[in-house]
Amino acid sequence: MIELQGLTKTYAGKRVVDDVSLTLQSGEFGVLIGPSGCGKSTTLKMINRLIPLSEGRILINGDDVTQLPVEQLRRRIGYAIQSTGLFPHWSVARNVATVPQLLKWPKARIDDRVDELMTLFQLDPAEFRDKYPHQLSGGQAQRVGVARALAADPEVLLMDEPFGAVDPLTRETLQAEMRRVHVQTGKTIVFVTHDMDEALALATRIALLNGGRLVQYERPIEMLVDPADDFVREFIGQADLGLKLLSRRFVHQYQRRARLAPETGLERLDEHAWLVDAEGRPSALAGARLDDADAITRVKPEWIATPEMSMKEALSRMVWYRVTALPVVDRDGRLIAEVGMPGVMGIEGDGVASEAAS
Amino acid sequence: MSVAATRSGRLRRVAAGNLTLALLALLLVGLTLGMGQLEPLFRALFPDLSQPLYSRDSFLNLMLAHIGLVLVSSLISVSVGVAAGLFVTRPAGREFEPMVSSLAAIGQTFPPAAVLAIAVPLAGFGFTPTIIALSLYGLLPVIQNTIAGLGTVPASTREAARGNGMSAWQILWRVELPLAMRVIIAGIRVSVIINIGTATIGSTVGAKSLGTPLIAGLVGNNLAYVIQGALLVGLLAIVTDLAFERLERRYTFG
Repeated sequence: MIELQGLTKTYAGKRVVDDVSLTLQSGEFGVLIGPSGCGKSTTLKMINRLIPLSEGRILINGDDVTQLPVEQLRRRIGYAIQSTGLFPHWSVARNVATVPQLLKWPKARIDDRVDELMTLFQLDPAEFRDKYPHQLSGGQAQRVGVARALAADPEVLLMDEPFGAVDPLTRETLQAEMRRVHVQTGKTIVFVTHDMDEALALATRIALLNGGRLVQYERPIEMLVDPADDFVREFIGQADLGLKLLSRRFVHQYQRRARLAPETGLERLDEHAWLVDAEGRPSALAGARLDDADAITRVKPEWIATPEMSMKEALSRMVWYRVTALPVVDRDGRLIAEVGMPGVMGIEGDGVASEAAS
Repeated sequence: MSVAATRSGRLRRVAAGNLTLALLALLLVGLTLGMGQLEPLFRALFPDLSQPLYSRDSFLNLMLAHIGLVLVSSLISVSVGVAAGLFVTRPAGREFEPMVSSLAAIGQTFPPAAVLAIAVPLAGFGFTPTIIALSLYGLLPVIQNTIAGLGTVPASTREAARGNGMSAWQILWRVELPLAMRVIIAGIRVSVIINIGTATIGSTVGAKSLGTPLIAGLVGNNLAYVIQGALLVGLLAIVTDLAFERLERRYTFG
């Protein structure tokens, strides 16, 4: 748990962070967001004392951060930044091992931990351990940067616009990965960004700052539907509000039982239905096409949905492939449910179980 | 071109460079030990000279004395220069940076012969005034490159080091110095090469070096002596330069 109490930073008489108080429960993904110069990065860096605070208190699991030796404090807090800050003269493995080495872990434990983290971030240890940062793509380097921040199993992870310098496509992949890693590790994360879509994609709590003051601290959906004032409304943006809402909703909340097609009599269907192969994988969709309600459409991997996919992505696939329903598959590719236009409109699912539902 | 091809091309260039270095080093050792064997050649080239081979001291002694001068003065230049460069890039010494930089630059503008002329009345003849002149003269490139090298460390790398809980010493030793090392070594390389050449002047104030036959040749109008001294100094400089080039390469990242 992280508590900011009346946190204030003064530079030359100007209050760049002004009396910010908020509490982030353990395991939450908190995003600090706001326009340039709103004090979000300064707030983040006061938590691990890269910037000394002027007034107020910061507590991590009840400990006042100013009471701990600063290096010891920072080794308890993971830190990932934009443009990675990887050490260019160290291999990937040594970069990831930075904090465990400072903590003087035994070598075998460090090696195991490095492999574990690289696997968590889908970097094959055999291939990447001995590479150097300049041999990595932007996305890979950023993964290594986050893996390094998590290496010593810190209580808290701070991330300062970590995906600000990668291309949009890679950024979305990294966000999806970050969401997965958050669920898998249960870390308390404080993440700084200026991109509302990124905040909506990741946060369980959003803190919107302006001119050093905390304007609203709320769960993402509540902030979307009930902005505190005009500034919040303006910052969220009037455009794509419905799509932004969909980006916070996930397929497992809206999936419904999938109707399997009978062996015979496809032509007499009054509703769409799925055909599956011997392993239970969806092979074709009968009906549910806008232009030809009776067509049988072969299922392509590109328009399959997974329970953890956002509804925005699901809608996007429906539009692109001209179908009104997508098959939802489990990790082995077996059909477990379907998601369709009713879900997009906000009609909740019928509780079909899926292992990823949480 | 594929990565593998550029890689093998680079390896081939490195191997060729190593071979050149080894051959030149062999030539240097051979000439130092076996200059006497070339007496017939010099006699043929300079038939008018009664003494076409410098023989007041062995070339091995001269070479060792020369290397000794360069080693001692470079050690002083490097330790003082790196220490000064480190000092003015730390928070405590930052305000001294302009002063140190200009002092070192002034040191460089003095011709070494002038420094020798000043040093002799203070330190007498021979080894000591030469060391003073060489050390002062070699200081600037080391200080400049130490400051520049530490300046190449990206701010984000430094911030990551601090944010991951490294102490100021750990940041310096584990991150800043290794990353600055290539540029620092380039400065040391310039300093040492300058000193190899300049050490010859030490012979004018009585320090034994490869400059001794050179000066004697100039004074006695003996071109053969000049060639023998200059050949060895030149070779020594080239071999040292190539060796430093190898060393720099080891600190290239990305």
